Amino acid sequence: MTVSKPEIAAPNPLAKFLPGHEELSVTTAADGFTEITADRSRVIEVLRALRDRPELDCNLLLDVCGVDYPENERRFEVVYHLTSLDKGHRVRVRVPVDEDDPRVPTAYGIWKAADWFERETWDLMGIRFDGHPNLRRILTHEAFQGHALRKDYDPEKRWVLTEAETFVPDWVTEPDDEDQFETQIINIGPSHPATHGTLRIVARLDGEVITRAECEIGYLHRCFEKMSETHGWNEVIPYTDRLNYCSSMINGVGYALGVEQMLGIEAPPRAQVVRVILSEFSRIMDHAVCLGATLVDVGALTNFWYFFQPREEIYTLLESCAGGRLTVSYARIGGLAHEVPADFEEQVRYLLGYIPKFVDDVDKLVTTNSIFRGRTEGVGALSAEEALAWGWTGPCLRACGVPYDLRRARPYLGYENYEFDVPVASTGDCYARYLVRMEEMRQSLRIIEQAINNLPDGPVITDDHHVALPPKPKVYSEMESLIWHFKLIYDGIKVPAGSAYSATEGANGELGYYLVSDGTGKPYRIKVRPPCFAIFQAYSHMLEGHLVPDAIAILSSLNIIAGELDR
Amino acid sequence: MRQPDGSSALLTTKLAAMLAWARKNSLWPLPFGTACCAIEFMSTVSSHYDLARFGAEVVRFSPRQSDMMIVAGTITDKMAPVVKRIYDQMAEPKYVVSMGACACTGGFYRAYHVVQGVDEFIPVDVYVPGCPPTPEALMEGIFKLQELIQSGETQYDRLKA
Amino acid sequence: MRPVTTVNVDRPQRGFGEWIYFGPIFKGMMVTLRHFLRNFFGQRDVATIQYPEEVRQYSERMRGRHILTTRDDGSLRCVACYMCETACPADCITIVAEEDPEATVEWEKLPVSFEIDLLRCVFCGFCVDACPKQALVMSRQHEMVFTTRDEAVFGIDELKQKGPIEDEDLGYRPYY
Repeated sequence: MTVSKPEIAAPNPLAKFLPGHEELSVTTAADGFTEITADRSRVIEVLRALRDRPELDCNLLLDVCGVDYPENERRFEVVYHLTSLDKGHRVRVRVPVDEDDPRVPTAYGIWKAADWFERETWDLMGIRFDGHPNLRRILTHEAFQGHALRKDYDPEKRWVLTEAETFVPDWVTEPDDEDQFETQIINIGPSHPATHGTLRIVARLDGEVITRAECEIGYLHRCFEKMSETHGWNEVIPYTDRLNYCSSMINGVGYALGVEQMLGIEAPPRAQVVRVILSEFSRIMDHAVCLGATLVDVGALTNFWYFFQPREEIYTLLESCAGGRLTVSYARIGGLAHEVPADFEEQVRYLLGYIPKFVDDVDKLVTTNSIFRGRTEGVGALSAEEALAWGWTGPCLRACGVPYDLRRARPYLGYENYEFDVPVASTGDCYARYLVRMEEMRQSLRIIEQAINNLPDGPVITDDHHVALPPKPKVYSEMESLIWHFKLIYDGIKVPAGSAYSATEGANGELGYYLVSDGTGKPYRIKVRPPCFAIFQAYSHMLEGHLVPDAIAILSSLNIIAGELDR
Repeated sequence: MRQPDGSSALLTTKLAAMLAWARKNSLWPLPFGTACCAIEFMSTVSSHYDLARFGAEVVRFSPRQSDMMIVAGTITDKMAPVVKRIYDQMAEPKYVVSMGACACTGGFYRAYHVVQGVDEFIPVDVYVPGCPPTPEALMEGIFKLQELIQSGETQYDRLKA
Repeated sequence: MRPVTTVNVDRPQRGFGEWIYFGPIFKGMMVTLRHFLRNFFGQRDVATIQYPEEVRQYSERMRGRHILTTRDDGSLRCVACYMCETACPADCITIVAEEDPEATVEWEKLPVSFEIDLLRCVFCGFCVDACPKQALVMSRQHEMVFTTRDEAVFGIDELKQKGPIEDEDLGYRPYY
């Protein structure tokens, strides 16, 4: 399989700003990205120009990943995805790499966001990044051998980790200063009372103050990307549900949008509006869990119970639509799995009246509370430039003052038709993140109200039978529909060869899917750009100088969902 | 305590029954929640279902203070030594409920980093299927565990005998 | 594209009223007291569902345990076409097919063994979507518990429809 061929032949307008652009290949890809193919000797120059030239101004590094093409002459390809918040354009840089010398210079010096993305590419693909400060395995464990996402790696080959081989950082044993008898090394996690998933922080404490910390993740690495290569395009949808399990609908919708973009089809209008409604309810659910767990971690248990009540009522709605409470698997490529129930509108309106009461209750209990403000104001503050350098998106970035919301910046699913505000704060600390999330819940309710008032009639899935299963009455009676049905189940959806990146605004930030297809019924490569991954890599740097309870407060305000972080 | 003919003395059987009754009605859970099932566990202890009605009042994340470990979520090879260590640190008598498809068998993750069932390295008393199991299913699992405790057929009793 | 309309959620610095903490205490106690009194005096409206005496009514699309449907004469509708086994993401369905001795033109195979490992199953419903004969549907029975892994592999005897289809507690099925 070769590098995807550009579909539009017009010269790209950004090309002239790149140094030596005559020798580079700069095209416009089918998904709207400016695609640059560069050799590894030139890639740092190109990336630096992309950041520094004012016309290009790519201040956010979204993703770095590797793709394995064993039949190609140059086996691997490292793909960088970048975006410019102010100019609005999106850039993809491809760097082909040989099998016998898989090395590329690191982009860590240009954007700190490259830190963990490059470690992951090393871990799962085996491509080294020269100059990276800490190139070690991140998602798989210490005793793992081989590189799991290579095409010649057997998906079921496991390696056993014994306790003796568990990772310990080097700086644990090195002396801090002369009176290092005062410092102590502790492990926060991976089994810890803070209700935020399996993460491990190795911290050096001086009394109660953290002087140095390092995070270890990968305790929930469930190999989503490898599993997607062995299952058909529709069968990946249950796997996407389990990525950000607090708001499972958003992941499925984002994935379906990406595949629909590659197929060149669009879901019918009714399906789009229902997707918006259920995505916004999922966003409310996710913020409810995040804030509930944050408040539990700082000691306010009541709000947890208050937030779980609207969550249960939303479960009733999701369960009546899809059949499952938490992991809905409701989205399908081309629309939705089936029609919404008859009392859908009634349930939605009931929820619109029910949820604000609980949000208001928590607001009254917490927002002006002096103890809560003392615990969270000034704690874990990050400036907007730092946040962008680390690749932050979502409520955490909006709390730092940057009004970047994909629903407004690159609208999808008809978000341009809805009126809502994007909450921003200026301090960037835990209190600001709490306030932004509370306001986002209210704005989501506004969107849902507008959507349910304008719910169009029609089908909920496309009638293109190359993509969607035919309706069951036809399958039982007509031969042609039966044949479509058989072909779709056995062969899968035939997505044309090529690649695309599609992103939606998840509850935590930009959830992106980089999809590569080789024309068969199974995905060739799916890379998920998880918002938590970029956010969490800044965490160990934020911890220095904070107390241990502050570390827990910051951790929960960042809303780290391990399913998304580790995939 | 067994008599020479194999039967148990009246006082000790009554004592054993009373201890079993006390233990089953005050199971303090250690929610070893890793993934989505942990969210359903949170729903189970929330207002709508309220596991505290059955004695699971104190949800402690500390192994020293709990007697039932609910493994909720996928266990990966990286996490496995941690689970084993936490299980070893629990004080006896201890019981394990494996909640959800991933903890029971690995679920649909037949992959290079996922343990295909937590019973690969710890003894499990009750398996609760579902992905994630509904809170009612988890409560049924705990009822089943209570039955097993009362009749003395848990993994802990088998190991002790 | 609409311009981005933002709302700034910053709160002013803590004033004396907030710092002294009595005002927020009182306001918060009012909230919790209201919830308490409402639950105390309105026992019927309490959110807790007293399981197992009270059972939550799930929708008719609930994805629970599978049921193999039968025709009027009691034989399985399943023709062992392997669609469900192919569609299942968890590979938890195992079918062994054989020639149907009473074959007419309409159907020729039947399953000798049809096993679903319920501990692998993720209850996604893809098998029900894939079946071209409406032979596999799901019920609303979701409270299953096992003590060994082998107990959870359900064969034809456990999955087969027991009586008339109206008596089964049907959940997720092709159309309603």
